Amino acid sequence: MNDLVTLWVPLAVLGLGVLLLLVDVLTPPKKAAQADVGWLVAVGLLVIFGATFLVDVQGVAAYGAYRTGPWALFFQRLFLVAGALAAFGGVEDVQKRTPGRQGEYWLMMLFSLSGMVLVPGAQNLLLVVVAFELMSIPLYVLAAHGKTDPDEASAKGNAAEAAVKLYFVGALSTAFTLFGLGLLTGLTGTTELARIGAAPLQPLAALGLLFVLGGLGYKIGMVPFHMWVPDTYQGARAPFVAFLSVAPKAAGLAVIAGIFAFGMQTQKSLWVGPLGMAAFLSMAIGNLLAVTQSDTRRLLGYSGVAQMGYVLIALATGEEFGLAMVLFFLVAYLFTNLGAFLVVHANAEAGAGFEVDGLAGLSRRAPKLALALACFLLSLAGIPFVVGFWAKLYVLLAAYRAGLVSLVVAGVVLAVIGLFYYLRLLRAAYMTEPTVSRPDERFGGPALGLAIALCVVAVVGLGLFPKPLLDAATRASHDLGVPAAAPHVGAR
Amino acid sequence: MIPIPAFLVLAGILFGIGAVGFLVRRNVLVALMSIELMLNAVNLTFVAFNRAYPRAHVGHTTAFFVIAIAAAEAAVGLAIVLAFFRLRKTVRSDAADILKN
Repeated sequence: MNDLVTLWVPLAVLGLGVLLLLVDVLTPPKKAAQADVGWLVAVGLLVIFGATFLVDVQGVAAYGAYRTGPWALFFQRLFLVAGALAAFGGVEDVQKRTPGRQGEYWLMMLFSLSGMVLVPGAQNLLLVVVAFELMSIPLYVLAAHGKTDPDEASAKGNAAEAAVKLYFVGALSTAFTLFGLGLLTGLTGTTELARIGAAPLQPLAALGLLFVLGGLGYKIGMVPFHMWVPDTYQGARAPFVAFLSVAPKAAGLAVIAGIFAFGMQTQKSLWVGPLGMAAFLSMAIGNLLAVTQSDTRRLLGYSGVAQMGYVLIALATGEEFGLAMVLFFLVAYLFTNLGAFLVVHANAEAGAGFEVDGLAGLSRRAPKLALALACFLLSLAGIPFVVGFWAKLYVLLAAYRAGLVSLVVAGVVLAVIGLFYYLRLLRAAYMTEPTVSRPDERFGGPALGLAIALCVVAVVGLGLFPKPLLDAATRASHDLGVPAAAPHVGAR
Repeated sequence: MIPIPAFLVLAGILFGIGAVGFLVRRNVLVALMSIELMLNAVNLTFVAFNRAYPRAHVGHTTAFFVIAIAAAEAAVGLAIVLAFFRLRKTVRSDAADILKN
């Protein structure tokens, strides 16, 4: 019974899924095409999100395999918000796309979320793997959703191709992660993360660590495991990609942080190097390739690869402060990237397509949407007074304090390159004449507008008042129990 | 009695064959089979290591979970490959070339 209380967040998400299943089955076929079950999902997720502030449950469940506390809760709130925003953003699209079968989409999304919220609390390797798969497998299905679209003949099969790429890369990464974990488990005889960290330092353990990092690196789209990112982002539906580009990455980082920053603290010399290298390559390749893209979704995909590089810098510090900055960055990235994808989707809904040129004259066609896009792009670029600025600043500050000066320099230089392509999008939206202009243009429906508005409020609000989020991130990273940096200890 | 390292070497070889097969072969069904081979190498690792800790049974239980995961993944994977085949009339991975710069 106690276990059920401790596990209430994953169970609540699963419960919402069951409720949705019931609603879907009980809706008469005639009404099914009009039913907006997406609203139910979004509101339900927001209710669970609100409840996490009221219910105070901490402790372990399932024989220590699952632990809830500030760390787990921080990620769970992030996933719930991401799910709710993606649900608001996708209501109209899913209904237009698959009338009468909307339930499938939302059900898969909720099942994926139920696995996702388990991930940060998992203390046992078995639970990590199972929760991760519970998250990933529905995502493969979602990527292929609406694969046969009659009104988009040229794009026929794009979603199927996106799903094929996502699936094969995902399955391969699972095999790599499992093999690495197999080696680590074999050396210690346990599946508990805390005890695996104490594995004797030997070549086999190093190999295992490398496999795990590679396998999880696929999921967060870090270089050199980023090939699937632009293709999948381009092929799958934009509201789903908005979700895919933030939530699973955060889950992957939760596991990486749990295994490396926490578990392998005694063997820091083994993983700080590879992580720093991956951070640099992600920033460099992501930023450089994003410059050449003509499709906004691919551009945002590569920009996401670069953003993950910044997160990895903070993670490579292996300290509590750096970890807190990882969390702060992830929240900033969540609102910013999700919002940017939704704006791009709204513009495409108006018939302007996904090309960068399609944004032309957005400021005249839809001033509010253009303003939202400006907010998101400035935040992605790291311009002051939006949340992305603090995120980048804190990450670089953490790296500087940990002595990773070369990564700080690289981060700043590459951020300037990033500025170039973000401003290119902005220029298209503000300084070019509209190529298509119809007075009856509709930029999605009210739910999509609500989702974008919420993202703008969060990006600007957290940009002006970053303190509460900073405090929450610090508390959460403290909960994971990473030792503080050496100068810290001396100061106390 | 065969020593544990022998099993690990075999698992490593199987995993390597799977990985190379995945990268080299252009048939998505063969790629699926390669992934299965890699997951079986994982199982072999877990089960072989279990011998070092005979009381814990950690390896054996984990292997069961890996088998279940592999089955679930293969089911979704085959469905996706089927959808791909219906649209492109081929199972060759070079046909997945619409999405690019």
